[in-house]
Amino acid sequence: MTYIPPSQRGLTPQHAGRFPGFDTLEQVKYWDHATAGVVLERLAVATQLAFFTAAEVAVARPLLDLLLGQDGEPRVPVLELIDTRLARGETDGWHYDDLPEDGDAWRQTLAWLEEDAQTRHFRGFSHLVAAEQAELVQQVQDLSKSGDKWHGWNATHVWSLWTRYACTAFYSHPWAWNEMGFGGPAYPRGYLNIGVNAREKWEVPDHGEGAAR
Amino acid sequence: MRITHRRPLDYGDVRARNESAWLLPNDGSRTNHGLRRDMRHYAEGDEVDLVVVGAGAGGAVLTQRLARQGWKIVCLDAGPFWDPDQDWVSDERGAHVLYWTEPRSIGGSDPVPLGSNNSGRGVGGSMVHFAGYAPRLHPSDFSVFTDDSVGADWPISYDDLRPFYEAIEEELPVAGEVWPWGDPHRYPHSPHPVSGNGEIFLRGATKLGLRAAVGPVAIPNGRFGNRNHCIYRGFCLQGCKVNAKASPLITHIPDALAHGAEVRADSHVSRVLVDERSNSVTGVSYFKNGVEHRQRAKAVVVSGYSIETPRLLLLSGNSSHPDGLGNDHDKLGRYLMVQGAPQTAGRFAEEVRMYKAPPPEVSTEEFYETDPSKPYKRGWSIQNVSPLPITWAEHVAAQGHWGPALRERMRDYVHWATLGALCEFLPRAENRVTLADETDRHGLPVAHFAYSQGDNDRKLVEAARKSMEDLLHAAGAEEVMTIERYAHLVGGARMAARAEEGVVDTEHRVFGVNNLYIDDGSVFPTQGSANPALTIMALSARLATLLPEHAK
Ligand SMILES: Cc1cc2nc3c(=O)[nH]c(=O)nc-3n(C[C@H](O)[C@H](O)[C@H](O)COP(=O)(O)OP(=O)(O)OC[C@H]3O[C@@H](n4cnc5c(N)ncnc54)[C@H](O)[C@@H]3O)c2cc1C
Ligand code: SF4
Repeated sequence: MTYIPPSQRGLTPQHAGRFPGFDTLEQVKYWDHATAGVVLERLAVATQLAFFTAAEVAVARPLLDLLLGQDGEPRVPVLELIDTRLARGETDGWHYDDLPEDGDAWRQTLAWLEEDAQTRHFRGFSHLVAAEQAELVQQVQDLSKSGDKWHGWNATHVWSLWTRYACTAFYSHPWAWNEMGFGGPAYPRGYLNIGVNAREKWEVPDHGEGAAR
Repeated sequence: MRITHRRPLDYGDVRARNESAWLLPNDGSRTNHGLRRDMRHYAEGDEVDLVVVGAGAGGAVLTQRLARQGWKIVCLDAGPFWDPDQDWVSDERGAHVLYWTEPRSIGGSDPVPLGSNNSGRGVGGSMVHFAGYAPRLHPSDFSVFTDDSVGADWPISYDDLRPFYEAIEEELPVAGEVWPWGDPHRYPHSPHPVSGNGEIFLRGATKLGLRAAVGPVAIPNGRFGNRNHCIYRGFCLQGCKVNAKASPLITHIPDALAHGAEVRADSHVSRVLVDERSNSVTGVSYFKNGVEHRQRAKAVVVSGYSIETPRLLLLSGNSSHPDGLGNDHDKLGRYLMVQGAPQTAGRFAEEVRMYKAPPPEVSTEEFYETDPSKPYKRGWSIQNVSPLPITWAEHVAAQGHWGPALRERMRDYVHWATLGALCEFLPRAENRVTLADETDRHGLPVAHFAYSQGDNDRKLVEAARKSMEDLLHAAGAEEVMTIERYAHLVGGARMAARAEEGVVDTEHRVFGVNNLYIDDGSVFPTQGSANPALTIMALSARLATLLPEHAK
């Protein structure tokens, strides 16, 4: 059994969740090494960024916090996970032909978000209050819904880029699995109890919103 | 209903023609390292009988069949020779390595995302991370143009494929209930138990009086060689670490190695070489570890799937075929198809926990055929799908949710059940692969894939969505949501009776070049509403009976 500090047991991002006490990581002892390796790596991400510049971080961090509703600690280190991915050039294997490859698309869209903040509020994106930031982000989603362009780019494709990277990073993290009651890796043990309302003995039933610590 | 008789699965018989499952280790590890170590190796200068490009559904079956007949074969694959123990993880994000993630660009009015959505790399091909559904096409799929004046006819018939469907179903083997649709048939293994997701499907179908059946899945339900039983862990799309779900890596490659085939992994084929005077292929050039090599061969079979196969032939043009091999009539890369694959999820008061059990569970093909009373032609099938958290987030985000709303919806995960439809989108000439300006790590132009839907396609998606919503509501769903997606690629080098209409003839020979073949999903003229892998393998098994005739 790997050691989990008491303060980290059953942890969920921002302590949100409906499955009190449920901790995917307590199952690590039942996983194979290859799987445990990739999952545990997410708990110890590199804090030294390799892709984003300092100016980009100033925009990307609040943007990602907003997209994922991470308004407090503990936070899934989404920015760091995305940074590692972009530094390795690990794309999804395609990009829209009206956008450049993902890394360049990230840099350019962050620059435009900063530009929007300057134009609208005469301050940098990172100096705005969350509501002002959210408004600028909402504007991109609105343009995507109406099929319009944002700074000349297809807003739907920009929105897809941001949310795809953000969700992939966040929902790859075991704390996010705790929040939603997902069992995580299941090799070699597998599941014994399948069917409506069936649970493994280590799974926790849904206690409803606001049930976590 | 007349159901084609099927004799009980005779293991001795299967083993005698394909020993793969018995060549896997039975000690808890998943790879027969000895078999790989002792694999035959050919020198580049050796002229082998056949080079196969791609060790996926098409390429692996052909390699196995012909190796058994004594052919000297080198099968090259751009990706790794996977070891499920070391290389695969029981984790959604970590499975990224399985996909074809070299750059590709997408466009058209309805761009189709590639990568994890539809294409794999490495020995075993896309079936390594396919869901596992293994249905047949219906007999009507072969005469869509004659019957409905849309799409195209296949230049071969269902009957040409039936014996090969049966053979492959035994080799995977496929588990499912008696199949009442298309050409009614039985499966070699009985159906698996269903999880919450499948229960909901069956409950809704019963309420509506709609026929539904468990299966057909390429996961044995019972002993089959040294394959282990499924442990119902739900990670089929991430590669089966158990060796339960079929992929050519375990169903055909071991037997191919045992019969002298060489599988050369990490070898990206860059060009098919053709002698211009005789207009015959002489082999291929390929990159391995950054170095360009050649392999001489009497014949070449391209099995790189619907995007990479046309790309390779486009890249292989010469002065006699300046626009690419098999492209003298501007058909190469065209008529590429995806199935419209809307997924509808329903919210239930009970806990469904759809991440348990293999994602493939229950299907219905009640909407498969043309219904003359409807304003569209052809139809769709419905199957269970069970998105894991990252894919589920895509569903939720597609509804427009972000921030706290996204998180709250995601926390509701255990209450949702999901169905997916496969709509038969029709082939269109403008849906095609071309070469982009962008290049890959070897300096080769990458594929650009343009896709736009037609009117019939849009109508099918709408109708399919409605049918899934009805099913979920009948099962007691409090709320439903749908995401529009695509699944499966086929076409791009279609089979046709004449060179003016396609890229290969009825025996997979590329028009206009000698000894060049295509054996993969790209030869489909139309796609039906069935998942394609079984048909790709059956076509390949059929081709294996034709090639020896051609070689005489
Ligand atoms: C997520 C997902 C779920 C799916 N679910 C199902 C399902 O449930 N049922 C079903 O029937 N189908 C399913 N499919 C589709 C199915 O896997 C494919 O249709 C099928 O595997 C295609 O077979 P193929 O032989 O044409 O190509 P592949 O199996 O993809 O094989 C092509 C191989 O060629 C190699 N290659 C390509 N280009 C080159 C080159 N230039 N040089 C060397 N090697 C090259 C690739 O690395 C690859 O290994 C699914 C696919 C995905 C991605
Ligand atoms: S659910 Fe079964 S078949 Fe699918 S990956 Fe897991 S063990 Fe393999």
